[in-house]
Amino acid sequence: MEYVRTKDTPTRKPPLNESSLLGWLKINLFDTLFSSVLTILVLIAIFFAVKSLWIWGISDGVWIAETRRECFKINIDGACWAGVIAWLDNIFYGRYPREELWRINLGGLLLILWMLPLWLPRVRGKIFVGLSVVALYPFLAGYLFSGGEKGIFMQVMITAAIVGLAVNVANAVTGYFNRGSLSSFILRKIGKSDAPEKQQRNILLAILLIAFVAVFVWQMGWVVENVTWTKWGGLFLTFVIAGIGIASALPGGIILALGRRSKLPVVSVLSTAFIELFRSVPLITVLFMATTMFPLFVPEGFVLNKLVQVIIAVCLFNACYIAEIVRAGLQAIPKGQYEGAHTIGLGYWGAMGLIIMPQALKHMIPNIVGSFIGLLKDTTLVSIIGLFDILNILRAISKDTPWIGLHKEPLVFGAILFFIICFAMSKYSRHLEAKLATGHKN
Amino acid sequence: MAINDNRKETVRAKPAEKFNFFHDERVRSVFYQILTALAVGWVAWFLISNTSDNLEKRGLSFGLGFLDVVAPFDPDFKLISFAVGEDTYSRIFLIGILNTLYVSFLAIVGTTFLGFFVGIMRLSKNWLIANVSLAYVEIIRNIPLLIQIIFWYSVIYAVLPRIKQSLDLSLGAELVLLNIRGLYVPWPIAGGLLWMTFVALAIAAIAACIYRKWAQKRQDNTGQNIPTFLPIVAMIIILPGLVFLMTGSPLTWDIPKIDGFNFTGGASLPRAFIALLAALIIYHSAYLAEAVRAGVLSVNKGQTEAALASGLRQNQVLRMVVIPQAMPAIVPPMISLWMNVVKNSSLATAIGYADLVAVYMQTSLNTAGHAVEIVGMTMGFYMVVSLTISFLLNIYNKRVQLVER
Repeated sequence: MEYVRTKDTPTRKPPLNESSLLGWLKINLFDTLFSSVLTILVLIAIFFAVKSLWIWGISDGVWIAETRRECFKINIDGACWAGVIAWLDNIFYGRYPREELWRINLGGLLLILWMLPLWLPRVRGKIFVGLSVVALYPFLAGYLFSGGEKGIFMQVMITAAIVGLAVNVANAVTGYFNRGSLSSFILRKIGKSDAPEKQQRNILLAILLIAFVAVFVWQMGWVVENVTWTKWGGLFLTFVIAGIGIASALPGGIILALGRRSKLPVVSVLSTAFIELFRSVPLITVLFMATTMFPLFVPEGFVLNKLVQVIIAVCLFNACYIAEIVRAGLQAIPKGQYEGAHTIGLGYWGAMGLIIMPQALKHMIPNIVGSFIGLLKDTTLVSIIGLFDILNILRAISKDTPWIGLHKEPLVFGAILFFIICFAMSKYSRHLEAKLATGHKN
Repeated sequence: MAINDNRKETVRAKPAEKFNFFHDERVRSVFYQILTALAVGWVAWFLISNTSDNLEKRGLSFGLGFLDVVAPFDPDFKLISFAVGEDTYSRIFLIGILNTLYVSFLAIVGTTFLGFFVGIMRLSKNWLIANVSLAYVEIIRNIPLLIQIIFWYSVIYAVLPRIKQSLDLSLGAELVLLNIRGLYVPWPIAGGLLWMTFVALAIAAIAACIYRKWAQKRQDNTGQNIPTFLPIVAMIIILPGLVFLMTGSPLTWDIPKIDGFNFTGGASLPRAFIALLAALIIYHSAYLAEAVRAGVLSVNKGQTEAALASGLRQNQVLRMVVIPQAMPAIVPPMISLWMNVVKNSSLATAIGYADLVAVYMQTSLNTAGHAVEIVGMTMGFYMVVSLTISFLLNIYNKRVQLVER
């Protein structure tokens, strides 16, 4: 009773090759009947959407015109981009005096120059770059943007900022061209690289002091015209508010998060209450609180301008959001890390600063950047309380006599602008996350 | 000898428990706490004393007495009646709260549906559909909500027809009319015996619960699968429907009619409301879609394969294996997203929908003053909502944990 198969079983067809175009189409677009129908319907919808957008925005769009009426004469169905173009300076700089625009551009350029070493390979001391940009750049930029008379404090801080920038750039240059860090490069040049450490330090300090004095003397004769904050506006103002918010939210958030996780009951209860208070209310109510209640909070005769009020509100608000993210990061660190840090003799701050916090922050980079994107987007809320940020300028175009009633195009322009900035930020954060990943992902 | 020496050393190395005032952990802890409390207390005292000084100098008083003052304006949109010149700020506060909750509730319902829809599309095996929803999510998430709200507001203005040429959404019946002013819908007017229908509905719901429990138990005991969905739907529709008809259909509709340049009758949703609702739903659904996607992906692939191998059909695998495991990962972010919807509805103030912030924190604050009280009350409302929602979330998390173990 043996069964012997005499015929071969019929051979099956080879599976579709996914690398061929047809195979890919079959698998990914026309897998089943339902899927095919959906694909075709969606394709038709995309075609019509793109076509009507193209006609409205590009082929029928009017780029050169004096007034909205003229736009209508040229093509009534198209977008009137001429209005946006005419207001482009306002959109970017607000009502900042036109002959002083170089100050804003210079401020932006200096920031890029300052931050550039962070992305260069072989450059040492990136932590110093990051810290100095947060601690010193605001003074330099603040004076560049607002101008006027400098007090002695401002003079010192501006000098420090310029020296810091110079050191940064020089350090980046020597690092990038394989000459080591700036300090070792200088020591080598003057032939003191084998001198005792104390002598080396004194030499470097002396050089720094000389540079400081020289810059201080130079900047005394350097005065730019005063531009009051009421003239700030547009994307520039949005960036100023968001920038200060971002720079201060991270340290504030870390402090609040440590406070909330603290073993000291008073500290943790106070931090928790503060965080939960700001997280449970909308930003707009915090902004209203800032503009209506801050004037009552300060002693008489002390006037906080609206911009400062708003910036304080934004900082407090965002610090609380960052705090929760940092706390989540801290909770994700295994207990062994804490114990290990204590075992090798580190105290609370040593363990936090050297072991725990770097890991926690690295874990949370996508969330932190996400929160920063949220902050940038939320900055548009200041238009509600009457600051001329980019959104308010965009809305003002429709009230300008030649462009009266032009609502859609400026908003679309603003949306595209925000999309590009935010999308780039989120993509970069994902790249950063992948680059810094050292964990064992499977 | 050596061993002895060693032991001596260990004994010596053990420090005596000596109380050092400056290096004792407990002393330090108390000291730091007192320091913090003092610092915070000083700041609070500084702010409060300044505020009371400033209020005194400006001749203002602190107190909730202004709530009984007649409000000199009329909110644009209200769910309860408001008599100008008679009703007070307390009623304005109530109107604001109701408006905020109304738009938030509708937005939450819409967000949940659209978000799940987009999130599931994102997981589609169809490349085109997955990428269309990816594009939707990326575009919507990277544009500020406020720009979106204002955009819809102005698009509605540009696209919709004037009152005389109202769009009829009910296909010629002239029941649901859409025009530049907003959406006009019939509004139900309850008759005297309508409560009986509601009672019937409640009874039907309880009966449906009991039936479901029984069917479950039966299946657990005997393995027989009893259909539950259709009987439950039938129960919930038929019983209240019968009662409704028997009590003589105690419900009439107030239908909107064009009257000159305006509408009479029916209920209306103003343009600002529609724009706000649309923007809130679209914006938050993009976030929910991501949460749904992450939740479904968090379910181990082996679960699906094992379920398929044990003979369940594709839709059963989804319903009985994937979704129950995905929900604990989806629900917490979804609930905090609901909280965000409530908070973000406050952007209504930019386009003039009369939500709590617009009507109370802006208009009332400008007419009545009393910044401290009004800001406090408004923030208090949002805090109550937030605490309620996180309370619900905690309950859910506890339940899920119990089910899991």
